[in-house]
Amino acid sequence: MELTIERGSLLKSLGHVQSVVERRNTIPILSNVLIEAADGSVSFTATDLDLAIVDTVDADVKQSGATTVPAHTLHDIVRKLPDGAQVAISLDADGAKVKLSAGRSKFTLACLPRDDFPVMSEGDMPFRFDLGAADLKRLIDKTRFAISTEETRYYLNGIYLHAAETDGVQMLRAVATDGHRLARVELPLPEGAAGIPGVIVPRKTVSELRKLIDENDEVITIALSDTKIRFSFRNAIVTSKLIDGTFPDYDRVIPSGNDKSLEVDTKLFADAVDRVSTISTDKSRAVKMELDTDRLTLSATSPENGTATEEISASYGSGELTIGFNSRYMLDIADEIEGDVARFQFADAAAPTLVLDSADEGALYVLMPMRV
Amino acid sequence: MSLRLLPENIVNQIAAGEVVERPASVVKELVENAIDAGARRIDVIMTGGGRSLIAVTDDGRGMTGDELKLCVERHATSKLDDDDLLNIKHLGFRGEALPSIASVSRLTIGSRKSDADGMLADDAWELAVTAGQKSNLRPASLPAGTRIEVRDLFFATPARLKFLKAERTEFGHAIDAVRRLAMAHPDIGFSVTDGERTRLRVREGSADLFEARRARLIDIIGRDFGENSIAIDAGRDGYKLTGYAGLPTFSRGNAQYQYMFVNGRPVRDRVLQGAIRGAYSDLLAGNRHPIVALFLDLDPLSVDVNVHPAKAEVRFEDSGRVRGLIVSAIKHAFAEAGLRTATTASQAALGSARPGGYAGQGQLSQMSRNRPVYSQHAGGYGTPGMRETTLQSYAPLAQGNTEGYAAEPRARMNENPGEIEDAAAINYPLGAARGQLHETYVISQTADGIVIVDQHAAHERLVYERVKQALLENGVARQILLLPEVVELDPGHADRLVERVDQLAELGLVLEAFGDGAVVVREVPALLGETNVIGLVRDLADELAELDQSLGLRERLEEVCSTMACHGSVRAGRALTGDEMNALLREMEATPNAGQCSHGRPTFVELKLHDIEKLFGRR
Ligand SMILES: Nc1ncnc2c1ncn2[C@@H]1O[C@H](COP(=O)(O)OP(=O)(O)OP(=O)(O)O)[C@@H](O)[C@H]1O
Ligand SMILES: [Mg+2]
Repeated sequence: MELTIERGSLLKSLGHVQSVVERRNTIPILSNVLIEAADGSVSFTATDLDLAIVDTVDADVKQSGATTVPAHTLHDIVRKLPDGAQVAISLDADGAKVKLSAGRSKFTLACLPRDDFPVMSEGDMPFRFDLGAADLKRLIDKTRFAISTEETRYYLNGIYLHAAETDGVQMLRAVATDGHRLARVELPLPEGAAGIPGVIVPRKTVSELRKLIDENDEVITIALSDTKIRFSFRNAIVTSKLIDGTFPDYDRVIPSGNDKSLEVDTKLFADAVDRVSTISTDKSRAVKMELDTDRLTLSATSPENGTATEEISASYGSGELTIGFNSRYMLDIADEIEGDVARFQFADAAAPTLVLDSADEGALYVLMPMRV
Repeated sequence: MSLRLLPENIVNQIAAGEVVERPASVVKELVENAIDAGARRIDVIMTGGGRSLIAVTDDGRGMTGDELKLCVERHATSKLDDDDLLNIKHLGFRGEALPSIASVSRLTIGSRKSDADGMLADDAWELAVTAGQKSNLRPASLPAGTRIEVRDLFFATPARLKFLKAERTEFGHAIDAVRRLAMAHPDIGFSVTDGERTRLRVREGSADLFEARRARLIDIIGRDFGENSIAIDAGRDGYKLTGYAGLPTFSRGNAQYQYMFVNGRPVRDRVLQGAIRGAYSDLLAGNRHPIVALFLDLDPLSVDVNVHPAKAEVRFEDSGRVRGLIVSAIKHAFAEAGLRTATTASQAALGSARPGGYAGQGQLSQMSRNRPVYSQHAGGYGTPGMRETTLQSYAPLAQGNTEGYAAEPRARMNENPGEIEDAAAINYPLGAARGQLHETYVISQTADGIVIVDQHAAHERLVYERVKQALLENGVARQILLLPEVVELDPGHADRLVERVDQLAELGLVLEAFGDGAVVVREVPALLGETNVIGLVRDLADELAELDQSLGLRERLEEVCSTMACHGSVRAGRALTGDEMNALLREMEATPNAGQCSHGRPTFVELKLHDIEKLFGRR
């Protein structure tokens, strides 16, 4: 194997895959990235056995071949090389060492044989459909904040992707919840996605995907089975196992009869919540909302610091109501609302509250109040 | 095979399987018998880790020839008055120990009786039993008391022999058993010899029980314990708790040094261990364990000691009350004691202090190594509250002497020393701040020494106590769950939780019954964030089953408070003004448990002038 590649594209490509590699590994080969060179391009593969990413980039390949080298070391080296450098990579004859040189810098890296590198078996993926990068980004961004980090409820540690019907229209839905709040985003079901099984995409896969989307304005092909999902970008392929669990029947916690409706300016609201919550010292940072005709008063109390209140104008007419929330939860949701107006629908101080986005009908958030 | 009653010897060997687990069990049973016999002095010899020989000699009331013949019979005891198993006043009560030991070894007992008036019998007798087979009674020549020799332990049950550990280990267990008994009986002298050397010797104590116990504990646990513990003396409704509790700053990495006694009987009991953990919960990090010696005395009718073959465990009629007493007694004693931190910390500091400069250095440091100095004031037993101690030992002369120390040129000085009422401030327990070193340590001058305060640790403690106070006063904010969690439990466990819904709700956990053997959790303490609800509820249920009380939830909340405190407090490396420093000292004096941070590290060390003088060879 022998190739030359420009430092910038090498760095970008390694950047796409190296974060899959865990910092500590008991299986040495999992610390390595697989390099495969052939026909004018080189591809890099990294895996943690649950998730694999392959990124392919153009290169001047003099001799095709493949090997594996420590991923983080390689990434660190390339990161420190000067901008614009041409990087030459070659595998020595007995396959034990990789030489890397750029200008006057020379490195020799120990390598492990490519045959030891675990290949994720994809199996049969009966479903396949396309999704625009912007759509996938929307599904992820508007739900990922609600993914649970509590490992005992592993089935909540991801985004639940599935087909469902809203008002007679078939939709592709993404849902995440941590048991305190829930986010649900949908879009019309893409062609080919009819009948897909509901799948839970793990948190790590979600964040790796999100990195790839940022740089790709393109169409992504998604293929899936009961146990695996694959996202094919122009230059990269992400293959991931799915969380083996049952996502809870979330529909029943989405309230339908909440009749007290509040509309506020999203930005005014978020800023005010942020300011008021400054006063509270504990982790939950409770903020109380007091509603009266066309008026919303936000307040927070801390036995140590004192109190804060802020009144903002709002459109409301359903009688007085006082309800408390974790301010961080409110801010997370406000961050994802695109429209100028955020719409709240309350039942009472102890029941789930609905939050809607005036600019995105397909997005819906449920928030559980706090007793303060 | 036909159904039949087992021969007596087999019955005894089966009992021995439970009662006599290892050489230490034999030592324990024999020493207990000697204590029950009113001995003033008990000497133990063990060779081969107790495998070759265990000999216990006492000067107690002894036995007649007839009693000797009877004592190795099963269920022969002189200790159960009125045949009432509920009213147990001796260490022994089953009449099981001697026959069990005799069935698995070669046993010889020699004894000479003294009657109730102390009249010594003219004759002494000896009896041998080999693997349960009694020999004839032989006349012997002996002083008052009883001598029992156990040779070739377990020779009759080779299986048991195989499980014995190294001689050293077995010896260690045996000596530990004697130590524990010796702590409970300061009026008796004990010795343990391994055939060559004396490994433990404590003399019989003085008449005054209270002082005798203190002296005995120091003999056995060590002088450090004497200096770094506070006296506990609490009681209510016929329950009495006395003893000593080690300072949190004087803790250990394992729970081995927790000596607990119920009615004079050494026990290792989970209720008591749990109570001690609870009492120190916010004073020590989870992996540190206090050193304690606690004596619980209660009506023998309120505790069942007949639940464990080695009598190591007991069952309390009201374990909730026992736990409550222990937790509150210890917490209270520490709150009262106020500012105390381990003298070992200041000793370590003194030990590493090296006189600077020129001649005589070798000699001086030699001295500080050879003669460890113990602070005289910090360790007083039964003197709660440091202010008193300090004021008592305050002497005008000492103040005169300290003046020269005030101006330390490289230290950060009080900007306005004049503003501080020096004469008054110096009389505070933590004295008047004199400066800050390395932007981390506050140095202050007290009436008879200097105090070095770790500003981060100290402030962390203050913030923690404040946060905790607020939590208790304002109630716990609760996050309502969008997805209520159903937790499956044993039916009994679920019921116990449901009985306490009000108490749990106060701590922020709202749950209700959910069919048989399950609860549904609807609200959780918001402080805990996204928490493992099932784990939390299961732990609480286990705790309720075991202790009849739930401290776990409160402990978890306190843990969160402590993390918050750590982040919310003044860091090392921040310069403080004189006023800030003095304010910190005054607040430490006013705050309970300010002597250590929530991880059990000391927040300050005090060096007495008198110790400093020793460093300079002035004393
Ligand atoms: N050192 C001793 N001095 C005087 N009497 C003794 C001594 N050791 C044993 N005895 C007598 O022998 C009896 C039997 O002792 P043994 O240890 O078998 O039973 P126990 O102490 O009564 O009960 P337990 O089985 O609970 O220890 C005792 O009740 C006591 O009367
Ligand atoms: Mg006995």
